[in-house]
Amino acid sequence: MNSKQKTILKGMPASPGGQVQGKVKVINSLQGFKKLSKGDILVSSFLTPDFVSFMKKNSRISGIITDEGCSTCHAAILARELKIPYIAATVNATKKLKNNITVIMDSDAGIIYEV
Amino acid sequence: MLELFMKFDGFKKIESIKKLQRYNLPIPETIFIFNFKKQEKEIEKFLKNKKIVTIRSDKKGGTDFCPLIIGCQKNKAKSLIKEISSKGYAVILQQYVPVRSRVSGNILILKKHILAELMGTGALSLMNREGKIEEQIKFKKKDLTEVSHFGKQLIKKRDLINILKMVKKIPVYHLVEFTLRRDGLYFWQIKEDKTAKQLEDSQNR
Repeated sequence: MNSKQKTILKGMPASPGGQVQGKVKVINSLQGFKKLSKGDILVSSFLTPDFVSFMKKNSRISGIITDEGCSTCHAAILARELKIPYIAATVNATKKLKNNITVIMDSDAGIIYEV
Repeated sequence: MLELFMKFDGFKKIESIKKLQRYNLPIPETIFIFNFKKQEKEIEKFLKNKKIVTIRSDKKGGTDFCPLIIGCQKNKAKSLIKEISSKGYAVILQQYVPVRSRVSGNILILKKHILAELMGTGALSLMNREGKIEEQIKFKKKDLTEVSHFGKQLIKKRDLINILKMVKKIPVYHLVEFTLRRDGLYFWQIKEDKTAKQLEDSQNR
């Protein structure tokens, strides 16, 4: 990681998968999922059962960041199953991360960097 | 006996409750309902002297989100059990453990560590399904010393260590759900989580 890169947020590494870079899509409704493109990083308050069902069929995103969540919840287990890097419990990712900005997720350390 | 094992086969939650019993972990009073008509009397006997019960359900092959009524009034219980059964679910009827518990949580058994994720209020399903968490503590498995801590302290360390001692011998990459109340300790289920290995692999990268 470049030492100049600024940390935006920290959270819990719920599905470690190294570093990924992608465009942020803040989504808080099932309808919003249609906005996701391949390689996007999904940012949401949490992945509810509806989201989880959707994820099973559409695992084209490169990462997930949520305000809540943990390492043992259903969403984290599913993210690990689908090998999607996931940082949980960031508290305010949906407020701090704006749509369409590009970020780097270090999913092993649970840190989100500015690009 | 063989028939009994066959009956549980494929019902992940039910198998896990049976597994808890094998590890001598305390569970709330429980009956499994596979056939409402045949077990109607058994259900009535269970409901007797109870005001509220918990109705969980399970499906062969396992779906993640089966019907769940955490606090069901006794007078509505039979009709709800009948309805859930008619949709092809096996019903897990349990003693109601009030959600105003001291602490509930998941304990994940890793190779060298034990991870405890806890919440102080509400049903454990809030953590599993909605990601509500208040505390995460990681312990060394060998001597149960604390490695890392996140969030506010919900439980006396001594109490948590006592629970960890009870589950320490459960095979690696298994998850155990529990609730600790003033009136007792209850375990809800034990399930294998093969993906948990990834949480350890990342530390070696």
